[in-house]
Amino acid sequence: MPELRFFDCNARIGRASTPRPEHLLDVAGLLAEMDRAGIERALVHHVWSAEWDPPEGHAALLREIGGEDRLYPCFAGLPPATRELPPPRDFARQVRDLRGAVRLFPVQHNYLLNEVSIGHLLDALSFERVPVLIDLAQTNWPEITALLGHHPALSLIVLNAYYRVDRLLYPLWERFGNLYLDCGSYGVHRGVEAVCARFGAERLVFGTDLPVHEAGGPMAVVTYAALSEAEKQLIAGGNLRRMLGVED
Amino acid sequence: MATDTFLDACRLGQALAGELIIDAHAHMGPWHNFHVPHNSARGMVERLDQLGIDACVASPHAAIGPCHLQGNRQVMAAEDEFPGRIIPYVTINPNYPEAEIRAEIEHWHGLGRIRAFKIHPALHNYRVNGPGYGPMFEYAREHSLPVLSHSWAGDSLGGASLLSRLAAEMPSVTFLVGHAASSWDMIEEACREAQARDNVILDLTGSQLLYLALEAMVERAGAEKIVFGSDIPFIDAAPGLGRILAARLPDDAKRRVLGLNAQRIFRLPGR
Repeated sequence: MPELRFFDCNARIGRASTPRPEHLLDVAGLLAEMDRAGIERALVHHVWSAEWDPPEGHAALLREIGGEDRLYPCFAGLPPATRELPPPRDFARQVRDLRGAVRLFPVQHNYLLNEVSIGHLLDALSFERVPVLIDLAQTNWPEITALLGHHPALSLIVLNAYYRVDRLLYPLWERFGNLYLDCGSYGVHRGVEAVCARFGAERLVFGTDLPVHEAGGPMAVVTYAALSEAEKQLIAGGNLRRMLGVED
Repeated sequence: MATDTFLDACRLGQALAGELIIDAHAHMGPWHNFHVPHNSARGMVERLDQLGIDACVASPHAAIGPCHLQGNRQVMAAEDEFPGRIIPYVTINPNYPEAEIRAEIEHWHGLGRIRAFKIHPALHNYRVNGPGYGPMFEYAREHSLPVLSHSWAGDSLGGASLLSRLAAEMPSVTFLVGHAASSWDMIEEACREAQARDNVILDLTGSQLLYLALEAMVERAGAEKIVFGSDIPFIDAAPGLGRILAARLPDDAKRRVLGLNAQRIFRLPGR
């Protein structure tokens, strides 16, 4: 079987508050790791967007990945009311023009993941077809259910869901076609195959969580799945390329 | 660039030919807390085949949960159905009367079926050095058997330091510290204990692996002190296998971790 074209939806760069000595902090380190593992592209967020200030993080992200055509920017969203970011329509359009995505950190950034708080932002992101990512540690399933109900056209990728989620996830997948899961951490026994048989390979995307976690495990989740090559290619990178509007 | 057969297998999803791979930490059956597809022994063996895993050493969820008697019978039946592929742990729940535990051990001893023990101090809410485990340790000591214990960082019931103290008291028993790579705190503690005691072995089971954690563990504790474990079918075995295949380690170290150490510890035949 030819090698899969991996597009990592969950990588980061930047100097973090509590780095480990072995952590990759810059673009060169991340690219070297991607080369070794065989990962073609990555959607990258900057730690400063999460741990310091989204505007500072966005500027650093664009500065650091500028000119590197294998890396795509993932920005942090905030409630429009505080006007820390450009107005939602402008912000969403800018992200779309860069073929990027938006990640939400409602716990870390201390806001409510509801319509009053960020409904306008999600409307704009949905309109511009910008995918939104959220780590399950930053939200919960009732919030995700409400968000999907209010924004049926928004592409939402849930990260780090782990292996106890099917009873929470399957009912949502029965109703919402725009919910995606990072399968790097999914971990359900033969779960990737079960999801594909029930809901299709379009529901899963590949993510590593580099440099906090290693890439070999998430890759093996895809490469060893008992699926067709076409299904594996979708999960490895095809689904994310489609969502971001990246050319094959 | 030098070819890395193990990394290439991971990138291509290929079962490794000619390599012994033993999963030292497996379960079996359904679990109350979440959906486990294809959780039967057959469903597990099908997955082992896909991944090129020769055998797994298993303790059913029933055993680490409410009924060790049911679980032990389940895994013995699985071994009968898939000899050489499913290796049974005898699991002990120390909350039951000593007479029952002794009778259970005696039952499987009489059939010559005890290869290793599995305990889960967290789910059974019982300290690993409590008296309820006494009959099991007595048998394990007498027969020089391995014992796999669930463990976690800061675990007051079965932490690596506590297991290591027992290992010092029972040099004939090989203690496998479960989930030894689950956090950097756990790695520090587990590697320290593995360095200090010949009979403390580290199990890699966990849903994810921290970046360069396995490489750090090999450097600190040695490749001969680490075994591959996955939790299958509690967790799929692919990520646990993939992170060893993709590690920045010499082939010899990967072979030890993937299967040679478990072969020695569980006294299993080669391929």
